[in-house]
Amino acid sequence: MHVDNLPAGGTAPPETDTGPAARPPVVTARGVTKAYGRTRALTGVDLEVRAGEVLGLVGHNGAGKSTLMRVLAGMEACDTGTVLVHGRKASADDFRSVRMAYQETSLCPDLTVAENMWVSSRHCLPRLRWRRAASDAVRRRLDEMFPGHGVSPRDRVEDLSLARRQMVEIARACLVDRLDLLILDEPTESLGPDAARSLYAYVRGLTETGTAVLLISHRIREVLSVADRVAVLRDGAVTAERPAAGLGEPDVLELMGAHVAVPDGTGTRTAAGGAAARETAAELRGATAPGLREVTLRVGKGEVVGLAGLAGQGQQEVLERLWRPVRRDTAVNVTRAYVPGDRQRSGVLPLWSVGDNLIVTALRGIARKGLRRPAEERAVVGDWVKRLAIRGGAEAGITELSGGNQQKVIVARAFASPAGLVLLDDPFRGVDVHTKTDLYRLIREEAAKGRSIVWYSSENAEMAHCDRVYVFRAGRIVAELTGEEISEERIIAVSFNEDGGND
Amino acid sequence: MAQLLAPALPDRARMRRSAPAAVSAVALIAMLCVCSSLQPGVLTVEGLTLVLSATVPLVIAAQAQMTLMAVGDIDLGIGNFVGLVTVVSATLLVSSPLVGVLVLLGLVAAYAVLGLLIHLREVPALIATLGASFVWLGLGLFLLPTPGGTTPGWLASFGAWQPAGFPAPLLPILVVALVVYLLSARSAAGVRMRGLGSNPVALRRAGLRPLTSRVIAYATAGALGVLSGLVLASQTGGGDVSSASSYTLMTVAAVILGGGSFSGGNAVPWGAAIGGVTLGLVSVVLSLLDVRSDMQSAVQGVIVLAVLAGRVVVGKVLR
Repeated sequence: MHVDNLPAGGTAPPETDTGPAARPPVVTARGVTKAYGRTRALTGVDLEVRAGEVLGLVGHNGAGKSTLMRVLAGMEACDTGTVLVHGRKASADDFRSVRMAYQETSLCPDLTVAENMWVSSRHCLPRLRWRRAASDAVRRRLDEMFPGHGVSPRDRVEDLSLARRQMVEIARACLVDRLDLLILDEPTESLGPDAARSLYAYVRGLTETGTAVLLISHRIREVLSVADRVAVLRDGAVTAERPAAGLGEPDVLELMGAHVAVPDGTGTRTAAGGAAARETAAELRGATAPGLREVTLRVGKGEVVGLAGLAGQGQQEVLERLWRPVRRDTAVNVTRAYVPGDRQRSGVLPLWSVGDNLIVTALRGIARKGLRRPAEERAVVGDWVKRLAIRGGAEAGITELSGGNQQKVIVARAFASPAGLVLLDDPFRGVDVHTKTDLYRLIREEAAKGRSIVWYSSENAEMAHCDRVYVFRAGRIVAELTGEEISEERIIAVSFNEDGGND
Repeated sequence: MAQLLAPALPDRARMRRSAPAAVSAVALIAMLCVCSSLQPGVLTVEGLTLVLSATVPLVIAAQAQMTLMAVGDIDLGIGNFVGLVTVVSATLLVSSPLVGVLVLLGLVAAYAVLGLLIHLREVPALIATLGASFVWLGLGLFLLPTPGGTTPGWLASFGAWQPAGFPAPLLPILVVALVVYLLSARSAAGVRMRGLGSNPVALRRAGLRPLTSRVIAYATAGALGVLSGLVLASQTGGGDVSSASSYTLMTVAAVILGGGSFSGGNAVPWGAAIGGVTLGLVSVVLSLLDVRSDMQSAVQGVIVLAVLAGRVVVGKVLR
């Protein structure tokens, strides 16, 4: 039952200290290196996470963040260097107070929420009647962290939405009798803005009791608003550590080594005014379905159409409708390809190589009389691997690639096919800045060749790369923005506009 | 609107999961109705005892199969294993009970070792259990080359037990399902087993050894297999290593009918019981309907397919 205790009352009371620098370090990494085969994931990391602080860790995919996390959480041993917990060399028991919430979640989908709590927090649960204790504890923790979460401990994880799974995952990580360090890996990627706000409020409360929090996120603005310090990881080493106060988003991007690509308004974009004159590739006429109400939209040939708004307002239902058209209200005049967002669940074929994963949609177009033509396939694959700079090449196993590179393969799969309409289901969640920039360019290039793209994104800033954007709220289109009108501020303003959607 | 829908969702999900078992339960009741319209005696205690008794060993073996399918494995040796147990009980258990009991315990241990090997050597369960099935067959033929032998007295009297008021076969079916339910759905060991079938990575990250989960599952399956063999021997009154060879695939069908899946993570003890009884009843109905015996297998297969199709349809409706 003692999982309900607020963590770490007994450790290092922070009242006496004068500033973050004076607090004792909870976990210290010194000269940590780690290699997988020939890839050197970490080349010498020195990092200190102090009690009662939020340390933001940024860096693009492949910089070694995931590896560093696993090492700090004691999941993996480092090759050289040391990891100290409370100043001494850590044993497995010391790592018990270091908990991590994974981005892809670490839950068993077939188990209930309460049973998942037993799996990860069984040390803190009674041997008998653990189910009741786990249910109470997780319900209380979820209530504290995400008021109005709508999760019951008896729900099976597979029945929960992505956002709720993420909530359960974070609650799971916090459910322990003593929490010294909480590692949050991209915690808000699947959460809505409300849930993200309440999470960060909770995190603030945690640090007041002396718990350290390590926050990894691609949303740099978020990191800056929550963290006390920001550490930048680049090519397997920490290259900069700055106090978050006074640091701006461009500064961080620069520290990460990104060339911030500012989409140049009308330059890359085909003249927005021509949209109406374009031939129609697909349209919905007053489509009504579960989650959709009277949606009418049109996609022209060679147009990039964005679906924006808060998460889960009907954007994915529109994609679903375009993917599986219903004759009475949907017309799709071209062939389609679909890029799923949840790459673990519906994206990759894990046993296949990069090349096989990439070519599977285009296969039929390339084949002659039902026979595959390996030479042509290889040429296409090689072309795409080069074009998107997919690390590892065509022969590598898809699961050996980092998340960003896997996502490149999935996007390339759609564009390698002859499809005239490409549906993007929030494909760039958790993808690093470099990859994103590459993929944005790809989308514009392919649109210029006459392909239509329908793009749902939870990242409003991405919508700037679209010709037209439909903003959704409660299953309705509440605004259609064109060209210069498309801006993050505008989209947010429209999607939060209460009288726009609700009855 | 999303808020309104939210509380309704889990219930629907729960319904979807129990739908397969419900479909086979409907099929089960339909078959009982057919039986009783042809033979009014079927619905009496004696009639039900007669009809159900043949399904008991199958249902217990289906629970063994279910346990392994819950961790994501499959057992292609369960039929011959049950046959081997009948042979052991017809020979060793009669001639020297102590040795017989030790051999039976050894068989359970052999299952645990099988699980250990599958895990450590990363052999697919499909192949390892298929290989083991030939070992069981060979051992059975070695002990008793031709069907025969006798049954220990206590086992025979269990087989002949006829309590008043309720059909005797119901008792082992329900008790075994309850025990397996408590183990697989309610206990911590069950969480470990289903967790292994569901997401072994999460299990490892939480510091639980998947090896232990798998060995528990295999030992459980072995114990249930032994139980199934003993019940079968009590009914046939002798040993025959190939008497249960059809169980291998029938048990898989029973688990699938009951809502299990090949991918693991799901424990459906009650579903497996219903699925097993349904499958067992099919042959009873067919003989009551005077279907020619050489056609029975084919008709049985068609009925199984029909029930599975019903499961798919119901699953679609509830999606």
